[in-house]
Amino acid sequence: MIEVRALKKAFGKIVAVDDVSLIASDGLVTGLLGPNGAGKSTTLRIIYGLLVQDTGTATVDGIDIQAQRLEAQKRMGVLPDSHGLYSRLTAREHIHYFGDLHGLSKDAVVARSDELIRLLDMQGIADRRTEGFSLGERMKVCLARAMIHQPQNILLDEPTNGLDVMTTRTVREIIGELKMQGIAVLFSSHLMHEVSRLCDQIVIIVDGRVAATGTTDEIRAAAGDENLEDAFVKLVERV
Amino acid sequence: MHAIAVVLAKEFKDGRRDRRALMSAFLFPLLAPVLVYFLLTTIIELRGSDEATTIPVVGAEHAPGLVQWLQERHVVIEEFSGDPQQAVRDQDVELVLIIPEDYQHRLKDFESVPLALVQDGSRTDARQSVSTVRDLLRSFNNEIASLRLVARGVSPQLMQVIAVQDQDVASRQERTATALNFIPLYIILAAFVSGMGLAVDTTAGERERKSLEPLLLNPVHRHHIVLGKWLAASIFSAFGMLLTLLLCILAMLQVPLDEIGMDFSITWQQVLLMFLGMAPLALLASSLQMLLGMFAKSFKDAQSYIGLLNFLPVLPMFYTMFNPVATQDWMFALPIFGQHILLVSVLGGKTVPVIAYFLSASTSLLISIAVALATAKFMERESILAN
Repeated sequence: MIEVRALKKAFGKIVAVDDVSLIASDGLVTGLLGPNGAGKSTTLRIIYGLLVQDTGTATVDGIDIQAQRLEAQKRMGVLPDSHGLYSRLTAREHIHYFGDLHGLSKDAVVARSDELIRLLDMQGIADRRTEGFSLGERMKVCLARAMIHQPQNILLDEPTNGLDVMTTRTVREIIGELKMQGIAVLFSSHLMHEVSRLCDQIVIIVDGRVAATGTTDEIRAAAGDENLEDAFVKLVERV
Repeated sequence: MHAIAVVLAKEFKDGRRDRRALMSAFLFPLLAPVLVYFLLTTIIELRGSDEATTIPVVGAEHAPGLVQWLQERHVVIEEFSGDPQQAVRDQDVELVLIIPEDYQHRLKDFESVPLALVQDGSRTDARQSVSTVRDLLRSFNNEIASLRLVARGVSPQLMQVIAVQDQDVASRQERTATALNFIPLYIILAAFVSGMGLAVDTTAGERERKSLEPLLLNPVHRHHIVLGKWLAASIFSAFGMLLTLLLCILAMLQVPLDEIGMDFSITWQQVLLMFLGMAPLALLASSLQMLLGMFAKSFKDAQSYIGLLNFLPVLPMFYTMFNPVATQDWMFALPIFGQHILLVSVLGGKTVPVIAYFLSASTSLLISIAVALATAKFMERESILAN
């Protein structure tokens, strides 16, 4: 479970996150929705420990991320918005590298990566160097290496950005699968239909502040609009 | 600590697969023996050629006195037959001295004897020989003229208003030493060249291909990541440098150095001590390259900064070239400079106190650790992720 309270973060004079609070519970999919530049990525980066907030708290399974970064990072699997790979390593070597960095045993790394390769349907590319991989193939490698340590919490920063239909489907299936396993999934997106389809809970962020929180129905009710997209636009304009 | 080994193993594997970086890293050491061999054989040839001057002479039999005088000055007189002008024009010989038949006769009558020196003024490579011969003839002339004045009771010094004395500062030994300055430079440069690809790829490269953020998401201390990368780059650097050192030593043992009055020999213990004294230079070079690599915004940026770093090994060479100072023990403690004088001394056949090897090693090691820690500190900054 991820808990964020009254988060604030400024870069110089620019306030990226002004006041964000949210909870991503186990077994639920939480969507972070907002226009470009609303502070979604900054919020996620604070949660996964690469940025330090100015004020507010962020915890993962009750562990304070700022105080115990490494402990917190062990409990998170993250797909950040950088999807860089090492062109001279194979897909499998990427997954092993991250497993080793997490300090997993050799057997565990091998067994778990085999499982992920099967789950993500990567058998054909697992032992090829990643140079020349398609965007979808790269995304699969990134997903697999993020989940090698079987984290209880998964954070995905715009996971379907630029993906083809088939890979987008795979990602959606995986999110559904993770939810079934009781994992807390938090993902950001600016795509309305995706969020409404996958999420149990939506947090709408505009200009670094939470504009609305709740289920799809609750959001629609709050905006007084039956269409979620219209509701979103209304909420954004209201801020 | 486990993470250091994991990062090291990955970067090492990645580096080994980078054919282009590998090529440029190891072409450098492999060229070392070729360079050393040509440098030293050239010196030996130069040295050999100015030992004996040979003068092709037409009509040597007409001037036995002059011939004998020249021979006493280690000049080899070669009987020349054929067309002197044509031979010089064809570059068969550099010059020809023509002695007239009436040489003795004119000498006796105190007449001036015309000696023709056939030469090609456009040939710069022959200039040295021509001027040597001209100087010799001039001093022969002065000697005879002085004797004539003395015979008449006049002091020859009346003829000498001034006396120019050439004092060539560069002795032959020193010329050799200057050449020997280049070999240490090459060896030290190898440390900077061999690990560079990996040092840049694991820092600026990691940022540029956007793989730094995913890497930093792992529950690993930043300084462990930096240490792993640093050690990987240092292994490449050390391997390249020590290979260069070894190949240079082997090449020097092949060249007949005794012909230029140098005796070079080295024991296995000395080689091992050299390795010990030199190895931390690899750590130092890699740590500096990584710090700049982290600082740079892109791979290209990093390469231009790091290219400037390669001037560091050149500095001690220039310094010692223009300020020849007596080596003192504390100087071995200066990073890069210490290794430079260590190499100059050992390759020059001097014995160096064992402490010098340890001094060279320890200061470079300490500084490199400080630089690596600074790199790790730099990596802690949030702005490291900004593009």
